[in-house]
Amino acid sequence: MIAPRGAGNLTLLNVSKRFNGSNMAAIENITLDCKPGEFVVVVGPSGSGKSTMLNIAAGMTRPDSGEAFVDGRPITAPGPDRAMVFQDHGLFPWLTSAENVEFGMKMAGVSAPERKERVEHALRMVHLSESAKKLVHELSGGMRQRIAIARALVMDPAVLLMDEPFASLDAQTRTQLHHRLQDLWCQTHKTILFVTHSVGEAVRLADRIVVLHSHPGRIRKEICVDLPHPRKFDSSDINELARLVRKEIEDEVKRINGVENQGPWRPEEDADMAAFADDVGGGI
Amino acid sequence: MLGMLGVQTGFGEPLHHGWPAPIESDVDHTNIASRIIHSPLIGANIVSAIRLVIGFSISIAIGAILGTAMWRFESFDDFLRPLCLGLQTLPSVCWVPLAVLVFGLNETGILFVLVMGSAFGIAISMRDGLRTIPPLYRRVGLMLGARGWRLYRYVLFPAGLPALASSLRQGFSFAWRSLMGAELVLIAVDYHGLGFLLAKGEDNTDIAQVVAVMIIMVVIGMLADRLAFAPLERRVHTRFGLSPSA
Repeated sequence: MIAPRGAGNLTLLNVSKRFNGSNMAAIENITLDCKPGEFVVVVGPSGSGKSTMLNIAAGMTRPDSGEAFVDGRPITAPGPDRAMVFQDHGLFPWLTSAENVEFGMKMAGVSAPERKERVEHALRMVHLSESAKKLVHELSGGMRQRIAIARALVMDPAVLLMDEPFASLDAQTRTQLHHRLQDLWCQTHKTILFVTHSVGEAVRLADRIVVLHSHPGRIRKEICVDLPHPRKFDSSDINELARLVRKEIEDEVKRINGVENQGPWRPEEDADMAAFADDVGGGI
Repeated sequence: MLGMLGVQTGFGEPLHHGWPAPIESDVDHTNIASRIIHSPLIGANIVSAIRLVIGFSISIAIGAILGTAMWRFESFDDFLRPLCLGLQTLPSVCWVPLAVLVFGLNETGILFVLVMGSAFGIAISMRDGLRTIPPLYRRVGLMLGARGWRLYRYVLFPAGLPALASSLRQGFSFAWRSLMGAELVLIAVDYHGLGFLLAKGEDNTDIAQVVAVMIIMVVIGMLADRLAFAPLERRVHTRFGLSPSA
């Protein structure tokens, strides 16, 4: 049997990590507390250490200093209580969809009849019961991610970690999966730590948005999203919020560019784009 | 029967008079059937097949162990890979003198040549194939609770199947060539394989027999590839979604 899970309280306490050969820390002194059942989305420019944060929570990477806890226990190794969904799904191509979902329970020694029942339930939750016998390469990108989510949820994890899970999907499929994930979260109320570079994604899904600095990765701002779930993704509240968060990140990108372009030559801000905008339609 | 193949297709007259007369074209069918059954060819094929099965199995085992070790341990890789690549350039018949000196003129000597001729190639292609396993599978395995030997049994070895299938296919042709070479040179052993028949043909200055045995060697090599190793590789690759037909 799988040991009963805790409530799902994920804590990072003053966590820092520096990679070999880099003089800048990937993340520095990050403290983040995800309450049980909370949907936290981390947004930030590339290089802000979002994935590093997630890998520390997963136990794949050990921090240089600081500590990570789940339900009060220190995180030392990867485990099924902190199931992760990866950008490149990571489904095993030699197994069918159902066998992929079953895999973690098999490793945990769950009995065959119980495994079967839970696999069926998980596949129903992601609406892929008919694809149970399909091989991974026979599934579309969106279906693969849904199987990956089912594989994580079937383990009944305390925390669900999601590393840009929808980044390689087309916009339409992504929106569909946002709805699906929102439904799943409303049903299960798992603690979710979700990493993305898409602000739109963050404001659609999050209870709380954490905006990261880069070089070194630090928390710049936390924004609580008080809109009730399930959300309508095209509402004006969401668009307004997205604009706010986007501005926050743009400032951050400008700051970085400013630091990097300290030489005598400094390009005009968006000069090319401005010139182009003036020209548009001019010849008509 | 071998003589018949060559002579009747117009491969020329026998070179000297000690050679049996060409088979008359009006020979009756029972005679041909009995000649086939009593021909040394059947026995030779069986002998070669048994040697191949035993030797190739040993090669696979050694190749798989060495390949896995090279993939898993960096220091092992640094040391063994150049060695394997070097030994692979050695034509397999060059192992014969060593085989004779160490094991003598016997079955072990022949197996030694076969294994030395194919195990290193299998090890290298196994190692190269295993290195193409996405690191993500390992992380997923750990995340889902596959630890220690279970990570190997349920994640890394299945993930390495395409590599194994390809290295088997390649390894077979190494093994077959090495065996034929060994049998051709090591003729003073108790049992006679296909290579022996080739050497015998040379002794008898019988071009027909020589060419016929060569053709049989090619055909058997091709059949094994077409009927066993290529389908195996294709099946694994289709399952993994690696082949264009999938």
